[in-house]
Amino acid sequence: MTYTPHLPLAVLTSALALSACGKKEEAASAAAVAPEAAVAQACGKVTVANMNWQSAEVLAHIDNIILSKGYGCEVELVPGDTMPTLTAMMEKGQPDVAPEAWINAVRQPLDAAVKEGKLHYAAESLKDGGVEGWWIPKYVADANPSIKTIDDALKHPELFPSAENKGKGAVHNCPSGWNCQLTTVNAFKAWGAAKQGFVLLDTGSAAGLDGSIAKAYERKQGWLGYYWAPTSILGKYEMVKLDAGYPHDKEAFETCNAKAECDKPVKTDWARAEVFTVVTDRFQKAGGPAVDYLKQRAWGNETVNALLAWMSANQATGADGAAHFLKTQPEVWSGWVSPEVAEKVKASL
Amino acid sequence: MAEQQPVATPAPQAAPAGISIRNLYKIFGPTPEKFLGPVREGMSKQELRDVHGHVLGLRDINIDMPAGGIQVVMGLSGSGKSTLIRHINRLIDPTAGELLVQVNGQPVDVMKMNQRELLRFRREQTAMVFQKFALFPHFTVLENAEYGLQVQGVARKKRRDNAMRWIERVGLKGYEDNYPNQLSGGMQQRVGLARALSNDAPILLMDEAFSALDPLIRSDMQSVLLDLQQEIGKTIVFITHDLDEALRLGDRIAILRDGEVVQQGTGQQIVLKPADDYIASFVRDVNRGRVIRCRTLMLSGARVDGPDVDPSLVIEEAARQLSSESKEAANVVNSKGKHLGTISMSDIIGAIVPPNPEPAPEAPSAETH
Amino acid sequence: MAWLKEFPSLGSDALGEIRRTVDGAFRGFTREHGEMMERLFDPLRDFLLASERLLTQSPWPFVVGGIALIAWLASRSLKIVVGTVITLLLIGFFGMWGDTMKTISMIFVCTVVALVVGLPLGIAMSRWDRLQRVINPTLDVMQTMPSFVYLIPVVMLLGIGRVPGLIAVVIYAIPPVIRFTNLGIRLVDKDLLEAADAFGSSTWQKMHQVQLPLALPTIMAGVNQTIMLSLAMVVIASMIGVQGLGQPVLKAISNQYFTMGIFNGLAIVGIAIIFDRVSQAYGKRLQRHLEVVHG
Repeated sequence: MTYTPHLPLAVLTSALALSACGKKEEAASAAAVAPEAAVAQACGKVTVANMNWQSAEVLAHIDNIILSKGYGCEVELVPGDTMPTLTAMMEKGQPDVAPEAWINAVRQPLDAAVKEGKLHYAAESLKDGGVEGWWIPKYVADANPSIKTIDDALKHPELFPSAENKGKGAVHNCPSGWNCQLTTVNAFKAWGAAKQGFVLLDTGSAAGLDGSIAKAYERKQGWLGYYWAPTSILGKYEMVKLDAGYPHDKEAFETCNAKAECDKPVKTDWARAEVFTVVTDRFQKAGGPAVDYLKQRAWGNETVNALLAWMSANQATGADGAAHFLKTQPEVWSGWVSPEVAEKVKASL
Repeated sequence: MAEQQPVATPAPQAAPAGISIRNLYKIFGPTPEKFLGPVREGMSKQELRDVHGHVLGLRDINIDMPAGGIQVVMGLSGSGKSTLIRHINRLIDPTAGELLVQVNGQPVDVMKMNQRELLRFRREQTAMVFQKFALFPHFTVLENAEYGLQVQGVARKKRRDNAMRWIERVGLKGYEDNYPNQLSGGMQQRVGLARALSNDAPILLMDEAFSALDPLIRSDMQSVLLDLQQEIGKTIVFITHDLDEALRLGDRIAILRDGEVVQQGTGQQIVLKPADDYIASFVRDVNRGRVIRCRTLMLSGARVDGPDVDPSLVIEEAARQLSSESKEAANVVNSKGKHLGTISMSDIIGAIVPPNPEPAPEAPSAETH
Repeated sequence: MAWLKEFPSLGSDALGEIRRTVDGAFRGFTREHGEMMERLFDPLRDFLLASERLLTQSPWPFVVGGIALIAWLASRSLKIVVGTVITLLLIGFFGMWGDTMKTISMIFVCTVVALVVGLPLGIAMSRWDRLQRVINPTLDVMQTMPSFVYLIPVVMLLGIGRVPGLIAVVIYAIPPVIRFTNLGIRLVDKDLLEAADAFGSSTWQKMHQVQLPLALPTIMAGVNQTIMLSLAMVVIASMIGVQGLGQPVLKAISNQYFTMGIFNGLAIVGIAIIFDRVSQAYGKRLQRHLEVVHG
């Protein structure tokens, strides 16, 4: 192909034509949004925490779709975790929204921040609350009907063997950075599990914890450790929660069990975890109708478990799961938003 | 044919082996066998390379190397001399031909040996000295010298003693615990020589062994070698591109060019009767006085007034003697006292001076130095 | 025009199907053979536990003394030995002794495994070009594939703990040993190989008397790299529950404890420097008489 002066010109022209096509499409959607332009100005930019477990991830993506397509916000998802995200919100006011904040751990500093007006509680996103505790596989529970409480389980280290510590049992802890690590360490101490022949295994990461359950379940081996609902693991692998045997002692939990330095932790059940959406003061004031949505949006564990099970079976990402939920269960979410917003969201799917 | 008779050796040795090379061909490339036929019929090196992408290493080599003597193989770079010597211990495999060696009185074809026999052959029958010394840098001088024996699995003390003997013999006593990188070039090559000699193998292969040394050291090493040969009487194959070295060391000389033997014979034969212009230009500047012997120039005749000279004396020596005694002619008398003939000074001078150069040839001939 | 903006890919259904099938097949595999694979690695696990026990339960002066002795034997440099002792004492003083010993134990076992597996592989690679053509791309994958990708199947097969951690670290850290062994052997002067042949060495004699000793400085450089890479993997290994310095670093990241992260990070750096200096000094000593001193 010989070089001609016309060649670069032709390339340039086609590139311009292509981008012009694009511009046409953008112009079209801009026209549709025009009536909401006033609202768009009101909502503006918002950062939403996308925390690294499944139920939080899918909720963050649902918020992403509804806020951006329904309310015209400019949404940015940032990765997060309970402690780092809530600390950052308290200290720096970033990110703006934590959709699924498990607040038990940071109750006191969080309440203080709310009292100062820096942060606000929006909806109780998991309206049934989260369930935390120590779980064992169903096949172990069925084979040993006498094991009902934590005390019962701790009598049988041989049923939950540790691969690397011969003759001892293993209690699997959750990873660093999660508040449950502290509560589990203290529970381990409170129940004297070490004396009964157990070691506390640090699983390192969410993947490690999930992996250990998956491996044990595939091989029908014993497993004992911390887990919580609603999650897809519990949807996929049937587990039974051990009864703590003691009621929840609110005071002990808040002053000692949930803290790193705790000399005399007490045997107590975990509280029904309260899970709220937390928003910063800046967004509460600047978000407009979007904030109302965040005050309404709440769903029950049954819905969540079902969605998570679907996601697991279909290897769906958080974004896929959010899309699926919005497409298939409008009866659940249309109540959270005004009809016009619902229409816009449905149209964009 | 040897000019020097091998002296009875004190240490027990294997009987010296003669080497016969017959119809040796070597073609380098992916499919050498395909071109063997065409090459036999005369395909040129140029055509083989340009058209077929193969390189002609050796063509129809026939050489008989004397047992107990020094055979020099000479030529310029690319003549195939390094390739040839490596066929003797089969570091290179031939495309065709045989190489017969006398082992324990029986002729054995090296090209037909299997791997085990070949390993044994290399350990017991041959030893090699290399141009760039090829000393193992992580071994001391002593460990280098005893390497051949170590490969054979000889016991520690025995191989140590043997190696030390040769280290002293080449003049390196006191250096046995040094590493090669602490020695000069000449000393390193002495180690190489000691290593080869420690094997007590009847065949010694020397691949341009002194070419990397400076002229004084080179001359030294040549004397060392000649000296040793008096004692050990091995069959030595010596590669060089230096004519003076070849004439000094070689009992017989073979000259290679482009992979073919151009001439072979004694030094004297080559100098006096070069086979073609190529060799003529080679030998033109050689010191003929040191090569030609009295027996070649002598004329029969009665005794004259002059000194007696041995027939094997080089004519330069004879001239020196005549000059110091101011005589015109000498008598050639053999070791038993028999008068063989006479030799005159003018004949000697005539032989020493190189002949008139031919009208200048088209291509400049190669000079060797 | 739309197809220009969005890359024409397999639909999400097809992709999902592919993923599900492969996952399912793998799970089936772990169910069938997981037990056997675990048993396979039992000796390795015992080695790991024994080594860790040795380092953590011996009295600390013995451990410091032992490491200083090894540093001396390898480097013959007072400076390095003193530096080593000071670093270890500082680490202990700041309360990181136990974790550091666990990490050192893991690095030690990893280096041993890398040598046992990598050296023969490197030697084989140096002899057969075809093998080299196959192994080189494999090594490239091992060094660049994100570790979590192969951690997941490893955890499914072997659970969490030291052995899968070791496997992850070895996969990442072994390529230098293999590559440098191959390179070192191939770089040995051809003249020397010819000399060895001329004196009738068998292939084995040539390899272990000439090629390996002369390749040793290059191989040591490979070992040095392997050690550095395994230290770099320490934090990733802690993500599947491996104990040692990685764990406090991970905790620091997750909880945003700045100082804790720095201290443990510095401990890792300190250990890295010790290993690096000692192994390099040893490598240099090996090269001493390989250099040309006399013109």
